[in-house]
Amino acid sequence: MRNKRLPPTAADRRRFLLRPVVGSLLALALPGVPLLARAGGHAASAEATAYPPVVEGALLQFPQDFGAHPQFRTEWWYVTGWLREAGGGTGRHWQGAGEGGAEGRAGGYGFQLTFFRVRTRIGEDNPSRFAPRQLILAHAAIADPSIGRLRHAERSARAYPGLVEAGEGRTSVRVDDWLLEGGDTVLAPYRTNIETDEFGFELVFEPGRAPVLNGKQGFSQKAPDPLNASYYYSRPQMMVGGRMRIGGTVREVEGHAWLDHEWSSEILPEGARGWDWVGINLYGGGGLMAFQMRDGEGRALWHAGTLSEEDGASRIHGPDELRFTPLRHWQSPRTGIRYPVEWEIELAGRRLRLRPLIDDQELDSRASTGAIYWEGAVRLFELGAADEARAIGEGYLEMTGYAERLAM
Amino acid sequence: MNTRLRHLFLASLLRRRLATALSLVAIALGVALGLAVQLIHGAALDEFGRGVRLLAGEADLQVVGAREGFDESLYPLLAMRPEVAAASPVLEIEARLPGRDDSLRILGLDLFRVMQVQPGLMPRVVATAGRDVDDAGGDGRLAALQPSNLFLSADARALLEQPLRVDGRQQAAEGNGRAEGELQPPAVQDGWLLAQSGLRSLRLRVAGEVPGASGLVGVMDIAGVQQHFERLGQLSRIDLKLADGIAVDTAMRALAPLLPAGVALRVPEAAASEAGTLSRAYRVNLTMLAAIALLTGGFLVFSTQLLAVARRRREFALLRALGLERRALMHGLLAEGALVGLVGGLLGVVLGHALAGGAFRLVGGDLGAGFFRGLAPSLQVDPVLSLAYLLLGVAAGVLGTWVPAHEAARVAPARALRAGEAERTGLPQAKVDGRLAGGLLGLAALACLLPPQGGIPVGGYAAVALVLAAAVLALPALARAVLPLLEHGRSVLWRLAHARLSATPAQAVVAGAGVIASVALAVSMAIMVSSFRVSVDEWLGQVLPADLYVRASSSAASGYLDPSALATIAAVEGVAAVDTTRLVNLRLSDTEPLFSLLARPVNAVGQGEWGLPLVAGSLVAPAGATLPATWVSEAAADRHRLVPGSVFELPIGGRMQGFVVAGIWRDYARQHGAALIDSRDYVALTGDTRINDVAIRVAAGVDPHSVSETLRQRFGPEHIAVALPGEIRALSLEIFDRTFLITYLMEAVAILIGLFGIATTFAALATTRQGEFGMLRHLGLTRGEIGRLIALEGALTAGLGVLAGLLAGGAIAWVLIEIINRQSFHWSMDLAVPWLALGVFATSLVVLAGGVARLAGRHAMQRSAVQAVKADW
Amino acid sequence: MLQLSGLIKTLPGAPPRVLFDALELQVAGGECVAIVGESGVGKSTLLNCIAGLEPFDGGEIRVAGTELARLDDDGLARLRRRHFGFVFQAFHILPHLSLAQNVALPLWLLQQPEAEADRRAREMLGRVGLGRRADDSPHLLSGGELQRVAIARALVHQPAVVLADEPTGNLDPGRAMEVLDLLLEQLRARSAAGILVTHSRAAAARADRVMELVDGRLHAVRHGS
Repeated sequence: MRNKRLPPTAADRRRFLLRPVVGSLLALALPGVPLLARAGGHAASAEATAYPPVVEGALLQFPQDFGAHPQFRTEWWYVTGWLREAGGGTGRHWQGAGEGGAEGRAGGYGFQLTFFRVRTRIGEDNPSRFAPRQLILAHAAIADPSIGRLRHAERSARAYPGLVEAGEGRTSVRVDDWLLEGGDTVLAPYRTNIETDEFGFELVFEPGRAPVLNGKQGFSQKAPDPLNASYYYSRPQMMVGGRMRIGGTVREVEGHAWLDHEWSSEILPEGARGWDWVGINLYGGGGLMAFQMRDGEGRALWHAGTLSEEDGASRIHGPDELRFTPLRHWQSPRTGIRYPVEWEIELAGRRLRLRPLIDDQELDSRASTGAIYWEGAVRLFELGAADEARAIGEGYLEMTGYAERLAM
Repeated sequence: MNTRLRHLFLASLLRRRLATALSLVAIALGVALGLAVQLIHGAALDEFGRGVRLLAGEADLQVVGAREGFDESLYPLLAMRPEVAAASPVLEIEARLPGRDDSLRILGLDLFRVMQVQPGLMPRVVATAGRDVDDAGGDGRLAALQPSNLFLSADARALLEQPLRVDGRQQAAEGNGRAEGELQPPAVQDGWLLAQSGLRSLRLRVAGEVPGASGLVGVMDIAGVQQHFERLGQLSRIDLKLADGIAVDTAMRALAPLLPAGVALRVPEAAASEAGTLSRAYRVNLTMLAAIALLTGGFLVFSTQLLAVARRRREFALLRALGLERRALMHGLLAEGALVGLVGGLLGVVLGHALAGGAFRLVGGDLGAGFFRGLAPSLQVDPVLSLAYLLLGVAAGVLGTWVPAHEAARVAPARALRAGEAERTGLPQAKVDGRLAGGLLGLAALACLLPPQGGIPVGGYAAVALVLAAAVLALPALARAVLPLLEHGRSVLWRLAHARLSATPAQAVVAGAGVIASVALAVSMAIMVSSFRVSVDEWLGQVLPADLYVRASSSAASGYLDPSALATIAAVEGVAAVDTTRLVNLRLSDTEPLFSLLARPVNAVGQGEWGLPLVAGSLVAPAGATLPATWVSEAAADRHRLVPGSVFELPIGGRMQGFVVAGIWRDYARQHGAALIDSRDYVALTGDTRINDVAIRVAAGVDPHSVSETLRQRFGPEHIAVALPGEIRALSLEIFDRTFLITYLMEAVAILIGLFGIATTFAALATTRQGEFGMLRHLGLTRGEIGRLIALEGALTAGLGVLAGLLAGGAIAWVLIEIINRQSFHWSMDLAVPWLALGVFATSLVVLAGGVARLAGRHAMQRSAVQAVKADW
Repeated sequence: MLQLSGLIKTLPGAPPRVLFDALELQVAGGECVAIVGESGVGKSTLLNCIAGLEPFDGGEIRVAGTELARLDDDGLARLRRRHFGFVFQAFHILPHLSLAQNVALPLWLLQQPEAEADRRAREMLGRVGLGRRADDSPHLLSGGELQRVAIARALVHQPAVVLADEPTGNLDPGRAMEVLDLLLEQLRARSAAGILVTHSRAAAARADRVMELVDGRLHAVRHGS
């Protein structure tokens, strides 16, 4: 689909999302809705069923909340992780091998897959099975150091029974033959299958521990105004096993992964322009999630983070305990956009460093969903007293809202 | 050779300018007509093919079913198959535009799938004045999902924003009672399009454009189309893109077993070839007419060259005596013919393109036959086709010269140089054996027995050619048989003319061959068209027994009636009885065009009164049959080899249902076959209670017009069309006549070329016979009498040609009716000869030929009698 | 039968050439006058003027009492039809008619009943020695025979004047004299006035009178000279 370039408006500036894969598609749903509702005669009745608000204090129930929440405007299941060829590691305690090294463990691939669900409020009274009430979008990528960039692919479709679905009661999302399912019980494994022309993976994830609730018991505030919030839990330190194909080569792989599941109706803070997020599996068995929301000038609007332990204990860090500082930029030769690919994160007095697996993990999907952003595998280091860096974990960094600046 | 060629041969063409010019024109016309038919048709097919390619995009395979569609449950099944990389469902609607006589093709699409398979159909939001982008739904992705948003091609938008000028025949077709020349409102007003589903108007917002699409097409979200046009659960098509490395054949084998009855898999190109099949018989028909025009042109070259050679016999003898080789002489003459053919061909190619261009403006790309409605093809220069027709022109020139050149090359120089020889060889002494003509007729009869090849009646066309050849060859024999009957004329001119023609029947061949071909063509077409028209007229009377007909739209479009509407109609005061028809189109195989299925309440109106023109079987369903009954059209019976009592299986409601054939009826409306079943059977099989047409009988003494008015008010005049049978009949016959308009034009051209033949022959003859005319002037004939003599000879010659043409035309008409039409279109007709018209035509042609001959022979009258009798040899 | 008095004809040109300078000629019925002269002197033109096929500038031509100058083109045609017979050098026998039909042609033009025309044509053919070949096609005849047919055609309708322009020009000398004698014999038998234009002194010698066309006038040439 060709994306028509339009002069920026106030609405445009608000147009960015936590998960930009849906890019303009999701963004459009937001400012335009009331007007859209007027557009079609049939949309009028849809206004009766509004998006439910995200409120503090609602208890998340599992496995029920592993499934979809179709009443909410947006929802995503987001799996990131690191893979290595099987046999090189030591089974479950993967973190032992590389601990302490200045550069962390050698080799490996980053992988990412995301399933989005969007409620459009279009055609909710239409008995047609094609009625575009729910859209499902999926995105998958492999960060391959051997080529120095991402391999990625995406799918988008309207929900259609048996073909494109986001099921309730357990995790079950699919777009044609791409799927992510599991979570039948709190500790039950997940399974995914992704096939593209260029690559594919068929992986099983073992959570091993209960979900980590972010924010206030799963109520994750995104801005000073609690209206901008989501229900959000993470599953760090999932064990991964399965097969990965790059081109015609299939490899048995193993590794670790991180799953985020988040649903919301009003997530965007006023004036927000971009988002930097990390999800890191720590070598010590814990997990770190942190994000900052930036305004048009690049200043942080909001910070939040969760540090969880292997035993399930977790600590929530509020805005005052977190600071993101860009250290090094990389400019995309394709789009000319500069991304801060190395960061310093101050977390309750600790000084942490993020370094990318490869610099070029930019995703340019202007040809399809319209968004350009950076999403890639990173290592986390901790600076000691003498500024010596020690690798303490591996995970993913996502940076959005750098492209729009260019467009302006 | 070049200088020699130029001076000795080609220069001779300039000396006889009239004959050369007429030959040129004849060849040019033949080439032009043939080329124009091909160009027009080619352009229409191309345009159709472009449409097909656009719609199919990158699809490797298409799943197609009946026109009404098939159950969408097939879609997830196919989409999940490993052979399939992407599946794009399409629901196509021919949306009726209330208050207007045209319709809009709306494609209901899933834009997420379109992106993968048919990128050319992606819609784009256009912000228009007074509406900002957000109002239209942002950059268009969600706008394109809105159920009431419509995206139009530039062509469609341009047309629909304009008022539609009411055309007389369309007006009658829709029965809207508007006057011709009146303007119908624009379909798009203030950014909204008014469409109709059933009897309901619905407003669709024009939200943008389809930049990649051409033609009259709109795009909507598939869910919106299913909802608005009440087609829930239905798809028209699924376009498939195959996974890498999967061959089309492999995929077809793997997927075909998944398809329900009446749904087929095919490659997208097959749609274009299906369109080609639809119109192929018609196209071949027209091409044959053009070929006859070209053939007549070839005859014309033949006669002019033959006469020229005769006249230049002494010249050739001299050249031979001076040492010109026999072969060089022949080559030189053939070069003359080739030059005439080449120049005529070039003229014809130019004229053909001009004709095609004109035809697009005047009658549209279907040559008036209605095969490609809604297409706006543009004229393309086709170099290969043009070259082919140019070569045909050259071939006509060369072949026309072949016999005369051969004749000239055989000239014995010594004999030809002797005085007096010229007198005798002024005319060819063709030895024509009547038995040869008889043999050709026998072959023609045998050719009629051949079955059609690929739907084209090859044998029939061969028979036409053979009959024509036989008629030309039989002309001397005919002259010998007929002329003695005319011997006893009083006038000396008559005696002279008669004597001359009796003594030289070959002259009749030379001058009359073109006349025979063109008259035979015209006469056969006239008889065929007359038979067809009379039969259609009679048929219309039979199939339209009611007093009033009501429909929401044509069966292809989105208007329909439902049982409640029927109840409303039945309740109108003055309505005595109603009879309904549901017309759907089934797909019997992946290669055949769509088959029509009519569901009607059999016997509801009383046996024998339900307007089914049976040719075999019975109107009553066979008693005790376990299968439901069907009545099939002649085309269906021919194509599927059915006789009363046969079992015929039809894919209805996704499965094959057997029917027992109760009768066969004549159907001129559906060339590809139709079957009629009882609507109770239909509803039981499909659950579809929609109705396309309602036939109303009004109570005795009630004016149908008042019932019609009531119905219009009840449903809204813009939603329904009410027509009297007389109107439908008049309209149908008008369409019929329009279809044959182009054939009349081609006949006229052929006749014109035939008259050219008379003109050139007599111009040439007059030159060779100047001595004779000079002597007659000495003997006391006035100039006027000489002129009348030539006219009389022309008329007599043409008369013989016309007579042979009439006989051949009669035979060809029989072939057209019984073989060609039967095999091409599968319809029978009753022979109806338009005697009066043929008589007038033949007489006027003879008179005209006399005039033409006299005009052409005026050279002979102008030249001084004194010089003429001088020993010019 | 034929009377030319003061016939004047000039040919256009610069200066105009005087072809006939008050030319005088009278020919009685049954008499044959031969006209000789050098090529281009106007012998054939004289015949054409007599036949009304070419206009002249002064004087008068009377044929059977009718003055030519008073007739229009159609009138001249009717005059020729009734009162003239022609014998051409190139015969001009119509190939598509039988000999009898060729001979009957003048009678047809005079609206004679077909049977009567046929009878008289056959009788005439008999007189020229071709009676048994009346139904033959002209293709089968030699040059001499064709010219006999032409003579029969020239005389069958009993014309007042027979004009013969080099009738023997296409024949060999033996045949030429034979044909010439036949023509003269028939002229006398039918009392027609004959004018014979020829290059041949021998042919001219057979005529009753021989005139030489010199400087636009006719001068009598003595027999035997």
